[in-house]
Formats: sequence, structure tokens, C-alpha cells
Amino acid sequence: MTIIRRGTMAAAVMALGLTLAACGGSLTQDSSGKDDSDTIKLGMLTPLTGSSAAIGPHMKDGARLAVDEINAKGGIDGRKLSLTVEDEACDPKTAAAGAAKLVSAGVRISVGGYCSSATLPTLSIFEKAHIPMIIPAANSADLLAEQRRNVFLINGTGIQQAQAAATFIKAGSSKGVALIDDNTSYSTDITKRTGDELGLLGVKVADRQSVTAGESDYSGAVNAVLGSKADFVYWTGYYQEGGLLIKQLRAAGYKGRIMVADGSVDGKLIEIAGKSNAQGVFATMTQTPQTIPGGEAWVAKYKKKFGSEPGPYSTQAYDAVRVAAEAVRAAGSTDGQDVIEALEQIDGFEIFSGPLNFTIQHTLSVGGFDILVVKDDDFVLEK
Amino acid sequence: MNDEPTLRAGEKPSAYVSAVEEHTRMAPAVKEAGTSASSRTAVAELVSKGLASRWLGTGAAVAALALPLVSSSTYVIQIAVDALIFVMLAVGLNIVVGYCGLLDLGYAAFFAIGAYTSGLLSTRFEWPLIATLPVVVIAAIVGGLLIGGPTLRLRSDYLAIVTLGFGEIIRITANNLDFTGGPNGLYGIPDFGDFGLRADIALYWITAVVVIAAVLFSSRLGRGRIGRAWRFVREDEDAAEAMGIHTYRVKFAAYIAGAVFGGIAGVLFAAHQTAISPPSFNFLWSALILMAVVLGGMASTPGVVVGALVISLLPELLRGAENWRYLIFGLLLIVVMVFRPQGLLPARTGEPGRRGHRAQEGAS
Repeated sequence: MTIIRRGTMAAAVMALGLTLAACGGSLTQDSSGKDDSDTIKLGMLTPLTGSSAAIGPHMKDGARLAVDEINAKGGIDGRKLSLTVEDEACDPKTAAAGAAKLVSAGVRISVGGYCSSATLPTLSIFEKAHIPMIIPAANSADLLAEQRRNVFLINGTGIQQAQAAATFIKAGSSKGVALIDDNTSYSTDITKRTGDELGLLGVKVADRQSVTAGESDYSGAVNAVLGSKADFVYWTGYYQEGGLLIKQLRAAGYKGRIMVADGSVDGKLIEIAGKSNAQGVFATMTQTPQTIPGGEAWVAKYKKKFGSEPGPYSTQAYDAVRVAAEAVRAAGSTDGQDVIEALEQIDGFEIFSGPLNFTIQHTLSVGGFDILVVKDDDFVLEK
Repeated sequence: MNDEPTLRAGEKPSAYVSAVEEHTRMAPAVKEAGTSASSRTAVAELVSKGLASRWLGTGAAVAALALPLVSSSTYVIQIAVDALIFVMLAVGLNIVVGYCGLLDLGYAAFFAIGAYTSGLLSTRFEWPLIATLPVVVIAAIVGGLLIGGPTLRLRSDYLAIVTLGFGEIIRITANNLDFTGGPNGLYGIPDFGDFGLRADIALYWITAVVVIAAVLFSSRLGRGRIGRAWRFVREDEDAAEAMGIHTYRVKFAAYIAGAVFGGIAGVLFAAHQTAISPPSFNFLWSALILMAVVLGGMASTPGVVVGALVISLLPELLRGAENWRYLIFGLLLIVVMVFRPQGLLPARTGEPGRRGHRAQEGAS
């Protein structure tokens, strides 16, 4: 029995070896190097299922709006854009499979990436296929740590948000700042960097707290803040806990200022904190059409096309497509290397966060973070 | 087989072996309770033995090895490697759940231990990935000892709860330690080298060879002496103990074997993904692996392989359905379980008696 099996296996292996020798071409090189001439294929990975499934449609629609606008104007050098969207599910394995699918589909530029941990495994897949990535949402510093040349971030990074926050706090001449995070990597990254920036600016950090997301009683953190005599609280977690924290701070008699980071910029924050408690709460936030002058026209266009308000990262996805198109136009080709060089040389291309220039690390040179303030039921630009 | 030291200590192997054979040989006869039963089972056995064990297995192995020659698109290779790794996990869990009947709801923990150990050594200490393998095996065994030691004295539900907790502990620990990269995990994990081929295809062949070896090994393990001891423990732990099987040690052996399979699958996963993070090792994974085992047919190696392929490939094939894919996936699974509650390719009821004798002779 063993002999038979060994014989079969040996024969199979030999046959395999022969075939391999005969047609090894596609096994040694990437076959995805060709390009069809009349369309420029863009690919987007975004969560369509899973915990962040709500974000996917916003990003998809934002990107589609840009694709349709560019195509309506005749495309790039007579070539139309096309957009292929695959689910990343905020899950690394699904994202990697999705990325491979986009590569196999002949996508030339990636304009997706929402969850940082799911985007990480896609970097090497796109890099091996020489596909530039313009990442609209994911903004973890880990994405840049390996210094892959094909990776570009067009969302502001944690450090840019921290700088915006520290500058604003310094301008308000605070006597002591309390930094509170929710123990997620996104949130602790901002508090840590804000603390560093404040140190450089000579502002005293009176207190640092980490709370557990999902709880409902934050009196421990509230008492610590009151005890530290801080007159400025910066919350870097999400709106659910942020709303409760604001409510409980005000209820405990805290009179100082409060600011929240971009994860808390949502109408729900005002709802949970209570309208009166939330008045005057500041926020650090990337520019959105709702907060920039002249953005109403864009929102109206979006609403007309998709019948819904633009959501988080609609604008960044829209911009990612426009930046990709601009790079292809400047490069005059869709070859990965040419497009990467064109992206590096982009100078002052207008996107929502301001004129675009990439830094040497391939992040935005201008973070585009604004200070918003709660007025009635909305976040408006702080004048 | 390497089970001698485990079983020799204090037992008389001959006694339990004959007891197990007695027990299991009677099982089909009792079930069929009939006259023509023997001829029918003989035919069925011949068919399934011929098909399932040899030609089907060899054919599947050759097909797996030949895949890149048929289609070498990045996507096909990507999901094929995912599927092969899932097969490895499923046959590993099959040893624990299928053969030995220990309900393990935290199997992804060993997968995580393997992936994180090799990931840490290869990124933080720049070891070549292949060199991390022995450490991974040791780490998996230590993990198995730590959790198996105190808990394998427990039975059924209690064991399930403890393993469930263990799975979560590993994941949450990885999520909270800076050393393991926190919620974003580890990235930049190297592969095994490309051997002049396209990198993903080289990894595919390495994975295929490892997984084929694992499937063969696990199926041989199930047929050998310890395999029968496992099955006896699964069927009736008290009777097994009464017949002189050191049930605790036998269960331990199954648990550790499963842990090692999971750990090695973790190394392949780390090489394949290049980046690993805690969400990849959540409870859903443990549940999906268990589902593959149950769907395919517990204790049946071909069944488990088919089950694993279905569970890992179906969601990918349903990608086009977007939001609907998991609904359709779930419905299909329910349909299968309604019409094939015993699994797609269930294990045969009887023991492969003749072959068992031969294996025993070969071993002694």
C-alpha cells in the first residue's frame, strides 16, 4: 500500500515538475502588468459588511461622484475612469482577499482603505503589483512605518490633530489640561501626541485618564479631573462615551472648557450629553463640506445624486479619486512608477482639506484640522 | 506512532486495544441489527476505503499542488492559500473535537499563538521565518499544557466554557500589550523566500506541502492505536478508563496535537497576511473552524477537508452578494445541516479493523 502510494506520489511530482519546466512563465512574473487602453481602473476597499459597514456606502458614493464628474468632462486624456469596489469588512483576511481580487481585476490605482488594521495586509499585495494606494480614511502611523513608496495618506494623521489641538489649547491660555482617552490605539495615540505637543508649548498637563469604552459611569475620571483643577478637558475617544463624559462633568460642576477629537464629532454626542451641556464644546475635525465655505453646493450635488447626506469620509473618497485622476493626467500613463512620481510632485492641487502637497512620508503637508464648536444642534466652524 | 510513551506508563496496551476493537466492531452490527448488514457494510467500506482514503486523497493532493499551473491569478492564489490554512486548522481541531470529543471553543488561541510567536520573532528580532517554527511548536505546546493541564479534568460543557475564555484571553492580551503591537498588531512579516518564483506562488506551494503533510499525518494518527483510544474516550470516557486507558493523558495528547497544528497554521497565516492583528483571532474564527469540522463530518478526514474548503471559500464566492453574503452563507449552512446532520462526508461507523491490525503489527 505504502509502495503504491509512494509510486503515485512520485509520478505526480515528476509530472508536476515537467509541467512547471514547460510553462513556468506566469509563475515567475506578475501577469497583471498589461493595461487596457480605454479605461483607467480604480479599485476601492471599504467596509460593506461587519462592524463598520455603515461607512462603506458613504465612501463608495463619494468616490462614484468624483468618477462620474470626471467622466462627464471627458475623462483623462480621453480615457474614462471606472471604479471597482470590494468589501474589506474591517477584517484583515477579507481585506487581503479583496485586495488580491482588485489586483487580478487589473486595477491600476487603489483609492480605498478604511480600517487601519485591515489595510495593513493589503499594502504588500498592492506594492507587489506596483499599484499606488491613495488611502482616504485609514491614517495609522503603522501604515507608513515600512516606508513603502506606493502608500499615500490623504486623511490627516494623529500628530496633525494633536498639533491642531495643542495650538488651540495654548491660544486659550489654559492653566491645566486633562487628557482623557478610551484605550483604543486611535485615541491613546492622539492623547500621547497632544501631551508631547503641550509640553513643547509649555502648557501644563494636569491629568491623564484612560476610561473603558462601553461603560456608563465615568465618575472616577470626572472626580480625578475636578481634583486636578484642570480647566480644559480634551476627550479623544468616540461620541458614545464622550457624550456621557460631558454630561457627567457638567453635572459634577465642572466649569472649564471641553474639547473632543474627530471620533466624537457626530450629532449623537450632543444628544447624549444633552443640548445645554454640549453648548460650547469644541472639537478638532478635518474639513468637511458642512464646515467649509462653499461646501453647500457639493452637499447639494451629492444629495441630488444619491438621495442621502454625505457621511464620514465621503469627501476623502471623493478627493482620493480626484487625486488619482490628477496624478494619471500629470504622469500621462497609468504605470505604477509614473503615477507614484506624479503623486509625489503634486503641488497645490485643491482638495477639501486645502491645497495638496505630500510630505516626504507621503502624508498631507497641511493636516486640514479645524476647530469646531457646538452651537445649538450642530458643530460649526469656530471663528 | 509516537504514542507509546504516553500509553505505556502503567497500562497494558494489549488489554485496551482488544477492548476497543471489541467495542467498536460491535457497533455497526448493533446499529444495522440485520442479516444482510455485513455484506452491505463490506461493500460500503470497500467503496469508501478506496475512494476516501487513497484515490480521493491523492487526487486532491495532486490537484492542490497543480493549481498554480491551472490558474495563477493573484486572487485565486490568495484565496487558495486562505483555504489551505483553514484546512490545516480544521484537521487540527478535528483531532481534538472529532477524534477525542473534547469541545474546544477557543481553538483560534493556538492559531494566534503561532502567528504572534513567529510574527514577533521575525519582525522584532529579524529571525528568518522558517527558524521561528520550532519556537512556535514549543509555544503551542506550552499554551496547550497551560490550558489543558487544569481543564482537561473537566468534562463537556465546562471544558467548552474554559476554552472559550482562553481564546478570548489570548486575543485580549494581544490587543492590550504594546509588545504585540496593540490593536493594530504586527506588520511587515517576511515570507519564506520566493525560490525564483512569484512570491505568492512560492508561498502557495510551501503551504500546500505543509497542509498535505498535516492532513496525512492527522488521518494516520486517527487510524493508529492512539486514534482508537481517542475514539473510545469520545464514546464513553468511563468505560475507556475502566478498560485501562489513562483518559487524562490520552485527552492531553489530543489537545497538544491540536495545539501544534494550530500553531503551525498560525505561522503560515502570518507569512501569508504579512500583517496580523487581534481581530483575526476572534471567537468567530474558533466557531468557523468548529463549524468546518461539524459540517464536514466529525472524525472523518476527507469530510473535514471538504468542510473547511466550503467554509472558507463560500464567503469569497459570495462576494458579489455584498451585504447578503453572510445571510446566504448562513442559510446554506442551515440547509446542509438539516439535510445532512451527520456532515457532508461522515466518518464510517465501524473501525477499519483489518487495517488497524496491520498498523498495530507495524508499530510493534
